[in-house]
Amino acid sequence: MNIDIEDLAKEFGPERALHPVSLSIPSGALIALLGPSGSGKTTLLRILAGLEFPTSGCVRFDGADATGLSIQARRAGFVFQNYALFRHMTVFENVAYGLRAKPRRERPTRAEIDRRVTRLLEMIQLPEIGSRYPNQLSGGQRQRVALARALAIEPRMLLLDEPFGALDARVRKDLRQSLRDIHDRTGLTTVFVTHDQEEAMELADLVVIMSMGRIEQIGKPADIRARPVSDFVRAFTAA
Amino acid sequence: MRAKILRSPSPLPGFGVSFAIMMTALSFVVLLPIGALLGRGFMTGPAELWDMVNSRRIWAALMLSFRAALIASLINLFFGLMLAWVLVRYRFWGRRVIDAAVDLPFALPTAVAGIALSALYAPNGIFGQALAPLGLQVAYTEVGIWVALIFIGLPFVVRTVQPVIGELEPDLEEVSATLGARRAYTLRRVVLPALTPALFSGFALALARSVGEYGSVIFIAGNIPNVTEIAPLLIVIRLEEYNYDAAAAIGIAMLILSFAMLLGINAIQIWSRRRIGLV
Amino acid sequence: MSDFTPAQTGRATAEPRPVRYLLIGGTTVFVALFLFAPLLTVFTEALADGWRSALAALSLPDARAAARMTLSIAAIAVPLNAIFGLAAAWAIAKFDFSGKAFLITLIDLPFSVSPVVAGLMLVLLFGANSSLGVWLMANDMRVVFAFPGILLATLFVTFPFVARELIPVMIEQGRTEEEAALTLGASGWRTFLTVTLPNIRWALLYGVLLCNARAMGEFGAVAIVSGKIRGKTATMPTMVEMFYNEYLSVAAFSLAAVLAMLALLTLLLKTLLEWRHADLLAATRLH
Ligand SMILES: Nc1ncnc2c1ncn2[C@@H]1O[C@H](COP(=O)(O)OP(=O)(O)OP(=O)(O)O)[C@@H](O)[C@H]1O
Ligand SMILES: [Mg+2]
Repeated sequence: MNIDIEDLAKEFGPERALHPVSLSIPSGALIALLGPSGSGKTTLLRILAGLEFPTSGCVRFDGADATGLSIQARRAGFVFQNYALFRHMTVFENVAYGLRAKPRRERPTRAEIDRRVTRLLEMIQLPEIGSRYPNQLSGGQRQRVALARALAIEPRMLLLDEPFGALDARVRKDLRQSLRDIHDRTGLTTVFVTHDQEEAMELADLVVIMSMGRIEQIGKPADIRARPVSDFVRAFTAA
Repeated sequence: MRAKILRSPSPLPGFGVSFAIMMTALSFVVLLPIGALLGRGFMTGPAELWDMVNSRRIWAALMLSFRAALIASLINLFFGLMLAWVLVRYRFWGRRVIDAAVDLPFALPTAVAGIALSALYAPNGIFGQALAPLGLQVAYTEVGIWVALIFIGLPFVVRTVQPVIGELEPDLEEVSATLGARRAYTLRRVVLPALTPALFSGFALALARSVGEYGSVIFIAGNIPNVTEIAPLLIVIRLEEYNYDAAAAIGIAMLILSFAMLLGINAIQIWSRRRIGLV
Repeated sequence: MSDFTPAQTGRATAEPRPVRYLLIGGTTVFVALFLFAPLLTVFTEALADGWRSALAALSLPDARAAARMTLSIAAIAVPLNAIFGLAAAWAIAKFDFSGKAFLITLIDLPFSVSPVVAGLMLVLLFGANSSLGVWLMANDMRVVFAFPGILLATLFVTFPFVARELIPVMIEQGRTEEEAALTLGASGWRTFLTVTLPNIRWALLYGVLLCNARAMGEFGAVAIVSGKIRGKTATMPTMVEMFYNEYLSVAAFSLAAVLAMLALLTLLLKTLLEWRHADLLAATRLH
């Protein structure tokens, strides 16, 4: 699914979190939103998921206006920075949550849910932890469970807010690769937020550099390195 | 004393004094009187005690106190949760007044609440007159006792649940919505389980308070033996007859009842916390 | 009720508007019926025969004696409770010893004992039917049906109030500040007065406020221990009962109105404290 963002702006009271920004995300791309703290990355991602309403501008999914679409109807797989796993549910129940929450008519059978959750747990390479609770998992395992839970609803896009932010450097590297693999396998349009330029450059097809609520530059990692459009981008990507 | 009691030494002064004050006050004010009651029970002996408690009127009173407290606390569980939710999550005109008013039952003397409720619900009171055509009588029935106990117990539930709602992470509700769950499903599967331990504590506090409540109840209850006579009132009656042994027997029964309740509720709470993975 | 917006979570995850209206409406009605109506009734009943009768009732000798009694009890019980609360919190929060949880349970015990049972305990301990009571009487000391008994009953029912507010706050604050003061050469007392006390003063005030409300309002325990002797041992709440049972409605409700105004004052102060020191009191909000 391709995503078009047109003149999207967001104000929190007097504060402008996003100046009008426009961005076109081709179907199946893996995009990084890169920028310093407070630059509006999370805000943009949350608007895409329907968690925040833009002050003006619109979002199109495959050309259709999605600005007024409810969160539930968007089917955006969203992974929070701290994973937001349900502590009172096992890993299995967490992953099955979106399937069980469907209205009865659309809900898969119990056996089907079992099958899909098992497959997802295999995909994140944690087939054996289904009966554990989130507080019995390591940070990296939690992150992967959150990813599996988002994938379970067969989302139309994958949105990740600093997916590796809370992990140590080694685990980060491993998970980067597995996100790339999962993206390549599912072909989902994927947007992830980071303020680690190395991560963005290594992982993404397209990097969007943001600063103070504006998009500074959009481009392939190599292009941004070779031809930064502003001093800010040069300084930020050199770090 | 210091060296013997302390597990690890501390450079701070004043342990001996403060510990001594605490233990002295605790012993004289709390433990000694409780000991007097229990000692009385021991001297009387369990068989005698049982005989004294085992009368229709006392059973009726104990059951009434317990049942009414249970019903009122359940009603408070529902409305207290609703109130706490509304106070934390919504902004509306009058919110702060309502928030402050929730503590009214803590601050208002129970006897004052008692006569006010009685005046309201009496057959010639405003509520009494309004309910009469519907065939409902509140004053001098068990329902009147519920009303008084709802008044008394409400703040316990609200004040235990309110801070927990305030600290719920919005992420959990949001992630649930992105996974396609409708609001009602999110509330039931994500929010309610997170509030369960607090709801239990609030319920337990309200229940413990209501079982022994006296001042707010006696005016509206009508105090008909076997029907609307609560256990604490029976103690008062026995004391007025200088029947100390009978009063002590009922007192011990109530003490055992509330301790058993506290124990049971604590056990449930620990179990539910463990299940939810908060421990 | 017109201009409300959901707080905290954004609009995206709030309940649908009709549900919000329903919840707000429902709770408002509930609070109006169960909390505001009784409160209002106290004042309307007090003024049923006009201002003059209400004021006349308050100047009855029995009413005045009861007010004096209640004030003296609170004036002694509250400071004692504060001292105990400070001592308990200091010992429990700043030192490491075993059995703390059990001790806290014991301190909380009076919360789960019926006030009537509390009164009964004191009567059994000090009353004419116990050996201690007989001895006391032989030596011309009265506890039951006299001031000391009322004081003990009040102390029992208010026992946990201050300690319960202070313990969590003091645990949260740890002891590094006190240790720093000691290394700077301050004496123990001075450390307590200049470092600890300022840190906990709002929580202390909060606890004292609640303790005072309960001390002035306690009914069940006091009714039993005091014997409700008019002009001698009757307190304001027990006097309210006696007036009411004698069908002196205006007198009962006038006295009740005074207590209700004290309650409103307590609520006002409590609310102000909570607005201004919300962060500090957050730890103690578990009531
Ligand atoms: N709910 C909100 N209310 C008010 N202001 C907000 C809110 N959410 C975000 N903002 C403001 O909007 C701006 C952009 O915030 P945003 O969270 O999008 O930044 P970010 O790029 O994700 O930063 P970080 O890397 O620190 O997560 C910030 O100045 C922030 O203070
Ligand atoms: Mg962010």
